[in-house]
Amino acid sequence: MDILGNLAHGFSVALSVNNLLFALIGALIGTAIGVLPGIGPVATISLLLPITFGQPATTAIIMLAGIYYGAQYGGSTTAILLNLPGEISSVVTTLEGYKMARNGRAGAALATSALSSFFAGTVATIVVAGSGPLLTSVALSFGPADYFSLMLLGLIISAVLAQGSVVKSIGMVVFGVALGLVGTDVQTGQQRFTFGIPELSDGISFVALAMGMFGIAEIILNLEKPEARSVLKTEVGSLWLTREELRRATPSTLRGTMVGTVLGILPGGGAALSSFGSYMMERKVSKNRHLFGTGAIEGVAGPEAANNAAAQTSFIPLLTLGIPANAVMALMVGALIIQGIQPGPRMVEAQPDLFWGLIASMWIGNVMLLIINLPMIGMWVKLLQVPYKFLYPAILVFCCIGAYSVNNNVFDVYSTIIFAVFGYMCNKLKLEPAPMLIGFVLGPMMEEHLRRAMLLSRGDVMVFIERPISASMLAIGAIALAAMLLPNLRKGKEAALTG
Amino acid sequence: MKINAKDVASGVLLILIAATGLWLNGDHSLGSARRMGPGYMPMLVFWAQMGLGTIVLALAFFNGPDPLEKWTGLDASMLIISIIVGTAVGLAAPYLSSFFESSYGSLGLGMLAGFLVLAYAAGWRLLAFICAAMCAFCLLLEKGGLMLSLAATIGIACLAEPEHRARPLGVLGITIFLLAMCWWIFIKQLDIRVAVWPLQY
Repeated sequence: MDILGNLAHGFSVALSVNNLLFALIGALIGTAIGVLPGIGPVATISLLLPITFGQPATTAIIMLAGIYYGAQYGGSTTAILLNLPGEISSVVTTLEGYKMARNGRAGAALATSALSSFFAGTVATIVVAGSGPLLTSVALSFGPADYFSLMLLGLIISAVLAQGSVVKSIGMVVFGVALGLVGTDVQTGQQRFTFGIPELSDGISFVALAMGMFGIAEIILNLEKPEARSVLKTEVGSLWLTREELRRATPSTLRGTMVGTVLGILPGGGAALSSFGSYMMERKVSKNRHLFGTGAIEGVAGPEAANNAAAQTSFIPLLTLGIPANAVMALMVGALIIQGIQPGPRMVEAQPDLFWGLIASMWIGNVMLLIINLPMIGMWVKLLQVPYKFLYPAILVFCCIGAYSVNNNVFDVYSTIIFAVFGYMCNKLKLEPAPMLIGFVLGPMMEEHLRRAMLLSRGDVMVFIERPISASMLAIGAIALAAMLLPNLRKGKEAALTG
Repeated sequence: MKINAKDVASGVLLILIAATGLWLNGDHSLGSARRMGPGYMPMLVFWAQMGLGTIVLALAFFNGPDPLEKWTGLDASMLIISIIVGTAVGLAAPYLSSFFESSYGSLGLGMLAGFLVLAYAAGWRLLAFICAAMCAFCLLLEKGGLMLSLAATIGIACLAEPEHRARPLGVLGITIFLLAMCWWIFIKQLDIRVAVWPLQY
């Protein structure tokens, strides 16, 4: 079947009543958590994972994906109106967006953000649809050694791009891989690091780890900070753009879409990196760069297009290679595995409903988000006034019930508590939890591929350098690591990631 | 002084975990590079972690200062006391009641006691109450049903926030609202397999 036929099939899947409903739920939840500072997509998806288990895999992924790109729409609302980034990816939107709101153009900034996100989302959907099958055919020629090197590269990049010290992040990646090895060894059946606990023979619960390190630990950390939510004083005003604004925003949207699409595909990339990348680019190449800092519409259109494009194209490595590009995608891998689907290059052929249905639903979700965000902006502004002290008990009970319902076993809830304490400790020591989650997901697959590669090469390590694909992956990884030794680049990264 | 205390602690933590891992890994056969046994990959991973931990520790002496948050004397002593109390209660639990014999009940009671003791220290209060709330959920769920265990969880969790402590009626309102919401989502819509009311099974 050609792409159009496949897409038509995808739309028939995505337009089923159940899938439409869950795409809407995902988009609504995503917008809500995007608007609320202090609750991110990683925490939300991990605490909603168990709820999706009763649904078919396609429906589950459609909803979870909706949360991720919905958060990109919602995050900009808070950034523009309150100068508070609802998500990390909307930090740069505060720079120009809030200035626009101060100039009385809040409505225009919100409209720009939603429209450029929608445009970028549409382009990204087409890119995913077009490149998915193409990359899949490339991926099928990968040997075990190539896979191992590719995963290693993914881990290195995710550590390099994490906030803070690269060595510490790699340490966390490695510890994540180690945690992934707990449980029954696939080849010999031996129990590893289980301490005789029967629940651990299937490995550490993915949901417990993600919920504890992100959901619960974040509650405690948010409660520690005094609430910094000011009451809205800005008038939203007219949502219509003037002709002049439209003319200025269009080229920025196009550039932002391009930046986001490319950076989203990279391992370790994603929405946050792309919005920074796009802002940097706009400040250099935009015709009105002298207006930056005073509320330039280019600084809203570009980054907002970029983060939404990246949120969608970061599904490409997951859907074609089975490799998560960031922590949210690691959660998607977890969701797929629990549903009994092994993510990888065979997924496009084996699960056409899932692959094409997801792509079609992304576009439908973007249409929904446009409607959810623009005419209903007043409702989301109201949501901002719900204080965190009323939200956290709800998040906590969702985590408890969610963790329990995975296996109907309280052991998973106890594991969640332990990971919450560990996650809290990591935050105090500035150890990044996101690389650890990616390591945890990739650990078992890496062991599998390493074993196969070494068996095929009769124990010769040179196989990783002799195969061209593997060698180039390792070379890119080495360059990325070496680049971090250069003080200028390291400073640039810090500036980009902390805003 | 340019010592980065956070990095010293991180390095030590990574090294300690790696050393424990390597020690536990002694039970597993390594095999050869060609035919890897169950212990081969853990060995590689833990040695890598040990090396990275050492680098973090070594660099920590030059890239500071970045001190840890100050602990009061109470914070430190309560941490030790809570660990002792928690362990003692956990070990004693099976003798107290047969209630704690199944589904990790003694672990849960020990953790609950430890966290409640820990909550006495202001520095640990948020962490302790949130974790204690989750322990209460686990302890009560199977015998007490979802509603009772959630009520206990919400009650303890609200202790973490000073504004809730001052307004018990507000907490009651939150509890009723959340119980109704959880019943509607998890029992009515998702139909998870769990006892709803006490002594149902």
